Amino acid sequence: MTGDEFDRILAREETLEPSSGFAAAVMSAVEREAATPAAIPFPWRRALPGLAAAAVAFVSLGVAAAVFFVRSAGAGSAQVPGAISAPAISSWGAALDAAKHSGVGWVALALVLSLVCVKVSMRLAE
Amino acid sequence: MSAAEDQADVDRVLAGDVAAFEGIVRRWQGPLVNLAYRFSHDRARAEDMAQEAFLRAYRALARWRREAAFSTWLFALAANLYRSELRRIPARVLPLEDVPELHGAAGFDAALEAEERDRSVRRALLALPAKYREALILFYFHEQDISAAAASLGIPEGTVKARLSRGREILRGKLSKVVAEGLVSKEVP
Repeated sequence: MTGDEFDRILAREETLEPSSGFAAAVMSAVEREAATPAAIPFPWRRALPGLAAAAVAFVSLGVAAAVFFVRSAGAGSAQVPGAISAPAISSWGAALDAAKHSGVGWVALALVLSLVCVKVSMRLAE
Repeated sequence: MSAAEDQADVDRVLAGDVAAFEGIVRRWQGPLVNLAYRFSHDRARAEDMAQEAFLRAYRALARWRREAAFSTWLFALAANLYRSELRRIPARVLPLEDVPELHGAAGFDAALEAEERDRSVRRALLALPAKYREALILFYFHEQDISAAAASLGIPEGTVKARLSRGREILRGKLSKVVAEGLVSKEVP
């Protein structure tokens, strides 16, 4: 089939006239849209200090965990190279134990629930 | 269609006169509904998609950068919407392999045969993979203007040319038998 034949057939597509009420239907949808109050934008300016504080807290936590791990590993490597020392394991165990007693799980759950609530609210506001 | 009228209406809408949008709707309803129809081949769906395109244009009016014609911006917005709609809920078309082929034209009216062949070509076009189908639809909608099709698709002209060529090649492969039979039957006195 030649290009000319395709051009002839496909260029001769049937032309539709929009139905008589089409423009009116579009305008009523546009007027409804205009009457709807604009979505409230996310308050980035107000949230920024909180987000910055959270970022600093996460970075500090990461640094503290890294320092703790390096110290534990250092203490362990003095005994058997490449092995995790008993003091390191016991330190980790103690840290996990302390976390359990201080309710870290509940804090994490609360944070996840807050995140879900924010996401759902943003989705509904769109 | 006047670019000055479009610009004046856009200015009035942006100044708060919502009713001025009707001028835009009246000028562009035909092209937008027809473009949607070429994508969907369903009149009701075409009007729904065109209405949604106008609504999106209304919402995004302030983002029209006036270095491009209003029509170019509007077609790009509409084409983008129609493409995503059709990807979300595809048009009801036959798979390319199932496009019916015409057989001998004995005793068959030539005009009807040509009409059936044209319909087969259009069905085959709708059954093409999306990127070739979209390039071909926009190319023919814009009266075979590659730069207009490229602007509506938001891709370079070279890519449109490549997609047109590949799309035609696929169509030719599927339809060569149909058309060859049709052409031979026409040549027979």
